[in-house]
Amino acid sequence: MFECRDVHYAYQGRFPALCGIDMTIAKGQRIAFLGANGCGKSTLLSLLDGLVFPDKGAIRYGDRELTEAAFLDSGFSTGFRNNVGLVFQNPDVQLFCPTVREDIAFGPLQLGIDEATVKGRIASLAGTLGITHLLDRSPHQLSVGEKRKVSFATVLAIDPDVLLLDEPTAGLDPLTSTHLIEMLSTSAGSGKTIVTATHDLHIIEDIADTVYVFGQDRRMAGHGSPAEILADTALLQANNLIHRHSHHARDHRAMKTG
Amino acid sequence: MARKDFVERSIRGALSFFKEAMFADETAGLPGVLQGLDPRVKIVTVLGCLLLVLFTRRLEILGFLYLLSLLLAVVSRIRLGFFLKRTWVFIPLFSLLIAFPAMFSFVSPGEPILSVGAVHITRRGLMAASFFIGRVITSVSLVVLLSMTTRHFDLLKALRFFGIPQMFVMILGMCYRYLYLFVEIVENTHRAIKSRVGSGIHHRKGQKVVAWNIAHLWMRSYTLNEQVYNAMVSRGFKGEPVTLDHFQTKPRDWVWLFTAVVVILLLGYAEHRISV
Repeated sequence: MFECRDVHYAYQGRFPALCGIDMTIAKGQRIAFLGANGCGKSTLLSLLDGLVFPDKGAIRYGDRELTEAAFLDSGFSTGFRNNVGLVFQNPDVQLFCPTVREDIAFGPLQLGIDEATVKGRIASLAGTLGITHLLDRSPHQLSVGEKRKVSFATVLAIDPDVLLLDEPTAGLDPLTSTHLIEMLSTSAGSGKTIVTATHDLHIIEDIADTVYVFGQDRRMAGHGSPAEILADTALLQANNLIHRHSHHARDHRAMKTG
Repeated sequence: MARKDFVERSIRGALSFFKEAMFADETAGLPGVLQGLDPRVKIVTVLGCLLLVLFTRRLEILGFLYLLSLLLAVVSRIRLGFFLKRTWVFIPLFSLLIAFPAMFSFVSPGEPILSVGAVHITRRGLMAASFFIGRVITSVSLVVLLSMTTRHFDLLKALRFFGIPQMFVMILGMCYRYLYLFVEIVENTHRAIKSRVGSGIHHRKGQKVVAWNIAHLWMRSYTLNEQVYNAMVSRGFKGEPVTLDHFQTKPRDWVWLFTAVVVILLLGYAEHRISV
């Protein structure tokens, strides 16, 4: 589905964000991008969503390379936007319409879906996510958890084949996090490809089959199954995903309990 | 210290009022008479009444329209005290100040009806001031009534019906959405600064802090602007927005519109008959 070959990207041409990323994302896979803050996870999601384009290297979606010229092709652009949806890390970026209803309807309406179908999708999604009572509210009146659910709904309303999620559980309490992860599992169960960027080690076993670890040098530091990655404490420590003090505290507790 | 507290309380009060006035849709959600009407019908009604307010030459008709606005506020479950505060503060008060000199003989010569020393309040001056204040307070009351009984976004969307371009309505809607965010940022920034420097700060230092915060807020809004545009493109935006049209007129909207037209025409006819 996606193929990244030697992808480089730098902000304003001088602040490197990615320095040579190679990976393949197959249909139906559940992928997690794991890395500390500032290692390029969000940037790669933006590249995969065709919002920015690599300075060097290439990203292919199917048989088409993602370039600015490709998105000038109206047919390709509409098809791509129908198939790939990105949930931004900051809900205030994702929710730009005056009401929740308008936000959820925005995507499918721009993609040419008729109003009756859109209204049906809004009602169905709102019922599933438990946000029917929020439909006429303005985003600024929502809590963080409600904003995250609505952000998710804005992308699900398009019914894309690929879901790109940037830190979906950031700032959420454990219960709301669990609900969100359950929704992701349901989406994965229906055959969607899910790519999640996170630095939350607690959720990667629930949301991914393959984990890519991003290093502070903006390159790929390793990849594997969640169990393999979580067992590789040296890799996690080298990439600021765990800290040796918490490691020592665990050892100390283990020693005390004998 | 008391002066600084007063300034700070005033700023906080102003921000709080701004948030409440601009963003509180509580009255628009009440089960009142006007809240249940289609926004387009309400706009047409208010426009018709405003035209009457503009062209009438009878104080009785102005008075009737003003009392009608108060009655409509009551039946729309808006507390009268709250409504009067919202309508009389600022614009009408300033209008009163502007109109006040017009009552006197040195501005409006004519038959004196009251003398204050060597200065007289004339009938002509009093009538002119009354018309001016009457038009202002009635217009403001009608418009505030419309805004309090209609969700802000529905009001914006209804403008489409009157030929306002979709893009303009969308931009206004997004401005409304993000203005609240920036008001909150300003409030939080002020609290953060206060928590670090306390209550006392030299005015030169304070100016630098304020200037820096203005620049910082601008940069944040610029960054947010790019991110929001990306979020729109990500969901298929191509330059011309397509939005939901969820207005549906009901029989009561048509009854209301018919009644409003009849009342306005009757008032216009009554004025014509009285003038003749």
